[in-house]
Amino acid sequence: MRSEERLGWALSLPGLAVISAIAVFPIGWTAWESLHVHDLRMPWLGRPFVGLANYAEALSSPRFWDAMAHTAVFTAVTVTVELIGGLFLALIVDRISRGRDLVRTTVLLPWAIPTVVVALVWRFLFENPAGLVNAVLFRLGMSSPTWFADATAAWVPLMLADAWKMTPFVAVLLLAGLQSIDRSLYEAARIDGAGWGRQLTALTLPLLRPALLVAFIFRTLDAIRVFDVIYVMTGGGPGTATEPIALLTFSMLLQNLRFGFGAALSMIVFAVTFVLAVVFIRVLGRDALTGRVA
Amino acid sequence: MLRAASRRLVAVDAAAHRPWVAIVFAIAALSAGCGAGQDPHVLMFAGSAVGAEADAIRGQLNRFHAMHPSIRVELRATPDAADQRHQLYVQWLNAHAPDPDVLQLDVVWTPEFAAAGWILDLDQFHAPTSDFFPAAVAANRWNGVLYALPWFIDVGMLYWRTDLMSHPPATIDDLQRLATVAIEQHGVPFGLVWQGARYEGLVTVFLEYLGAFGGAILDTDGRVALNSNAAVTALTTMRDEIHVDRIVPPAVLTWQEEQVRFAFQNGQAAFMRNWPYAFTLLQDASQSRVAGRFRVASMPAGAGGAPTSALGGSVLAINAYTGDRDAAYRLIDYLLQPEQLLERARVVGQYPPRPTLYDTPALAEALPIAPHDARDIIDRAVARPVTPVYTELSEILQIALHRALTNQQEPRAALEEAAASIQALLDKAGLSAER
Repeated sequence: MRSEERLGWALSLPGLAVISAIAVFPIGWTAWESLHVHDLRMPWLGRPFVGLANYAEALSSPRFWDAMAHTAVFTAVTVTVELIGGLFLALIVDRISRGRDLVRTTVLLPWAIPTVVVALVWRFLFENPAGLVNAVLFRLGMSSPTWFADATAAWVPLMLADAWKMTPFVAVLLLAGLQSIDRSLYEAARIDGAGWGRQLTALTLPLLRPALLVAFIFRTLDAIRVFDVIYVMTGGGPGTATEPIALLTFSMLLQNLRFGFGAALSMIVFAVTFVLAVVFIRVLGRDALTGRVA
Repeated sequence: MLRAASRRLVAVDAAAHRPWVAIVFAIAALSAGCGAGQDPHVLMFAGSAVGAEADAIRGQLNRFHAMHPSIRVELRATPDAADQRHQLYVQWLNAHAPDPDVLQLDVVWTPEFAAAGWILDLDQFHAPTSDFFPAAVAANRWNGVLYALPWFIDVGMLYWRTDLMSHPPATIDDLQRLATVAIEQHGVPFGLVWQGARYEGLVTVFLEYLGAFGGAILDTDGRVALNSNAAVTALTTMRDEIHVDRIVPPAVLTWQEEQVRFAFQNGQAAFMRNWPYAFTLLQDASQSRVAGRFRVASMPAGAGGAPTSALGGSVLAINAYTGDRDAAYRLIDYLLQPEQLLERARVVGQYPPRPTLYDTPALAEALPIAPHDARDIIDRAVARPVTPVYTELSEILQIALHRALTNQQEPRAALEEAAASIQALLDKAGLSAER
């Protein structure tokens, strides 16, 4: 047993070494950096150790809390929309008997387009006063806001673009789940007199739970790190009204070159996502990972 | 040499098994070979090298080499986007890289690089500063020492339509009245367009309104002056032009230079605030509906201020870690000679920093804007705050301005918040004025 244990460690050593080189070491370095003032633009300040001052600055900054709130709202709305939309899409595609492969590929198209392109297209749709969206609203007799100059309205194109791109991804995940359900169960349900609604709530949704959980975890952890859609469409504006935490970190780290403060922001984001990931896996993911049905 | 040879042997050996390994080794061996033969004292120039600008600078560097055969000059192209070029320079200079020796900087970077000790004091070369526009030279001094020389000048100007009015507005009230008339009587959709997106351009527009009402971002002692009544009036005027007077379309809140130019070019606006580059493009009748129907003037003044144009442009500086500072200065001196500046004016359309050139027929032929018109505007040019933390200061200001213009905050509240943040920034950087 002893020697087997030792062999086990020896065999996993290369893997552990790689993981520490590419994950543990950079995170540790970032943590150490976050305890210093290190402004590339102010080299005359040197690189003094300041303890938790960077964290204190972040936690006392309204812009930081705004960014956290923006991230939370964006995540909650887009993940909800994408899960519901993806479920509908999956149920519809699952019903199609002829040419399902073609439909499935077509459904996945928006997801295959690079995010930056998607964001640019949606920006053009909304930005120009004569653009498609504003023209349609005008035809319907409604006046449209100046989307990207309005602190609330600016969220509409942002969330729509994200939902348009990511709903198909959720749909394909759920479709795979649907197709793994044994069809004879539906037959039995029909014989027992269950209607479409009852089949959905009593059969489909419970059996789809693992796939739903996987989609939920993927999308949530992705949405919390949202950057590209917002960077391209609004740059976080108007003012900082749509700035998520990833964009704030980018701006501090790579534009202002404040390495210490940026590292502190990164550590906070890391801590939040890490805790969420652990909670998801503990509370929700067990079923998903083991494939056990509740 | 021996090492390179052995590397090649290894490459041949590896090639037998995996072709991609061979390619990697071949590249490594090649670059090692190239490095060995390089003369370490080649002068390197870093700056824009796109299109006509690239041809102009290449030609000038070659002529310089012909005059000074002992100095070889290489051109290192850098990204055209200001942020990216800045980032690259900061990385090089932080690493104390000895090249590029001569750097093309944006004028607002000079104090930052000077305070960091990254560029050389040019006073040691007895640079002929009196030959250049005083405002352009002043923007390159930090703590009284000169760190760069202006290469070409950019100024904000008011483009006005000659078919809609007979003379440019002398005051902001005048401008607003003429804009309203243009909308109501001539059916022009927009009265005035300016750069209102949240980016550096917005700060330059604000600087012009600020000067028009007699305000400043930092006062002459370097104290934050953003909470002055003049500043509040300037920002309120900008906001009301959009939301109250409705002479500026709300769409400008996402517009940068090019969107603004397109609106004016399509005949949609009576006035436009933009840089000189737009002039040539607007004169091109094949794409412009206003060709031959516009002129330029200074931005007008408001109550208590003077016509103000934001000063932009590029400057030339020397890397503090250069191996040959005299050769580097000789190159700068050469590039700033009238002959070279006139060539740039002709080929790239950039405005030279030497006032005397504006009296020459050569410049009149080279530039689309009449030199005395341009000179009038340049004489009113005001630099943005000369401080090493300009970029961060500008970001704070951009956010505050954009919040006020998009009605998220009242102008006074936004400016007071910005003033406090900028003061904290100056304190942190150890740059606060003595109080």
